[in-house]
Amino acid sequence: MNYTFQWGEAFIEVPYLLGGAWITLHLSFIGFWSGATIGLFGALGKTYGGPVTKKLIDWYVIFFTNTPGLVTAFFIFFGLPEFGILLSPYNTILLNIALNSGAYMTEIMRGGFVSVHKAELEAAETMGFTLLQQLRYVIVPHIAKVLFAPLSNWYIWMILGTAMAAIFGVEELTGRVFNRAAETFRSIELYTIAAGMYVAITVLASFILVAIGRWAFRVKAKVF
Amino acid sequence: MFDVFLEQAAEFFIWDNAFFLFRAMMTTLFMTIVGCGLGFIFGMILIYLRKTPGLIFWPVRMTMIFYVEVFRRVPFLVLLFLVMFTVKGFGLDYSLFTIACISIVIISTAFIGEIIRGGLDSVHQTQWDTADAMNFSRLQTLCHVVLPQAWKVVLPPAFAFFVMFIKDTALTSQVGVLELTQAAKYYNNLGYSAILSFGTVLLLYFVLSYPMTRLGWWMEARLRDRRRDDDEVESGVTPYELRQT
Repeated sequence: MNYTFQWGEAFIEVPYLLGGAWITLHLSFIGFWSGATIGLFGALGKTYGGPVTKKLIDWYVIFFTNTPGLVTAFFIFFGLPEFGILLSPYNTILLNIALNSGAYMTEIMRGGFVSVHKAELEAAETMGFTLLQQLRYVIVPHIAKVLFAPLSNWYIWMILGTAMAAIFGVEELTGRVFNRAAETFRSIELYTIAAGMYVAITVLASFILVAIGRWAFRVKAKVF
Repeated sequence: MFDVFLEQAAEFFIWDNAFFLFRAMMTTLFMTIVGCGLGFIFGMILIYLRKTPGLIFWPVRMTMIFYVEVFRRVPFLVLLFLVMFTVKGFGLDYSLFTIACISIVIISTAFIGEIIRGGLDSVHQTQWDTADAMNFSRLQTLCHVVLPQAWKVVLPPAFAFFVMFIKDTALTSQVGVLELTQAAKYYNNLGYSAILSFGTVLLLYFVLSYPMTRLGWWMEARLRDRRRDDDEVESGVTPYELRQT
């Protein structure tokens, strides 16, 4: 018991860390949407594609869901330069997050596509819905309702996952804590503050997502 | 580029390295087993405390809820450093492996506790009431009535969490535990090509994780057949859950 806490010195850094939190959100947001795009095409391919496409997507999903994101990031970061492709740390992490979460989101989104039954589309067609109307009134509400909760969870999970970017020198929340902890040696205090910030960010994100879900897709969910 | 690669491959794939990597792989596996195993036990205790009735136990319940909600929302990397600096800061001389295990236990207790709670909630309330009417104590109810039924609901997602955490332990390389990722970094620093070192380790993670994933699927399918009615369980890819009502 020979450690003296000095919270004052750590709290001075809060504005700097908040800037990092903004980058974290930024990173997770871009990562999420690029992953969602990959996931969308992956799920489309897996539901409607030919046997070869299906097999390829299967392998992509199996590979990325069974290997750690950190090691794939190292592989991209140190491996690609050997082929003459140089990526900045930020781009490496974005690429890695997109590929990694694309694999998971392929799996998640496939569940949404499966939930639209053919009978419902036929019923809509019988009632004279045009394709656009079918999309608007049958397909999207269905998929949104099934997918909203798992995708929100995935987004929260990704906010936590982007802490990994710090290892490659991206100055997001954790990265900035690395910097300041190395300068001031107030590691325990700074990491505690960072942990608190992550909790605050994710709780806030949960509340916003639940609100959006209720308002836009009539998904009933609760945070706690 | 490829001639360098082939040249190094001849040097790289020798028995000494294979043995080293195998030990690193076992460290990864062992760390996960210890962490998640203890996490399972602590998670069980946590949920038992969380379900204690009575006004006096309100603070206990709140503490448990707080614990779960907080530690499910802290990144593993941050927690790892927090544990390391706290342990070292207070002058305790624990090994890096122990520190990694402590962090895994802290996180997995929260997640597995939540999974167990989902399982216990899947058992109908009448079962609790009946056991209560037959004068079972709370512990007896849990052990003899609820857990045997909840088991099938708890096991698949808990196992999925375990498999997921094999991959998350890669982050412990950042505090210096000699597991697979750290071994890859070691070889990369020795001068082997990143494709070779990190590629090999990627494959090793895959070898470790894929059979377990298959085992998890098999277990889930098998348990689902035996389950009586329609209660759906998501053994999801996302351990974090925004609960849908």
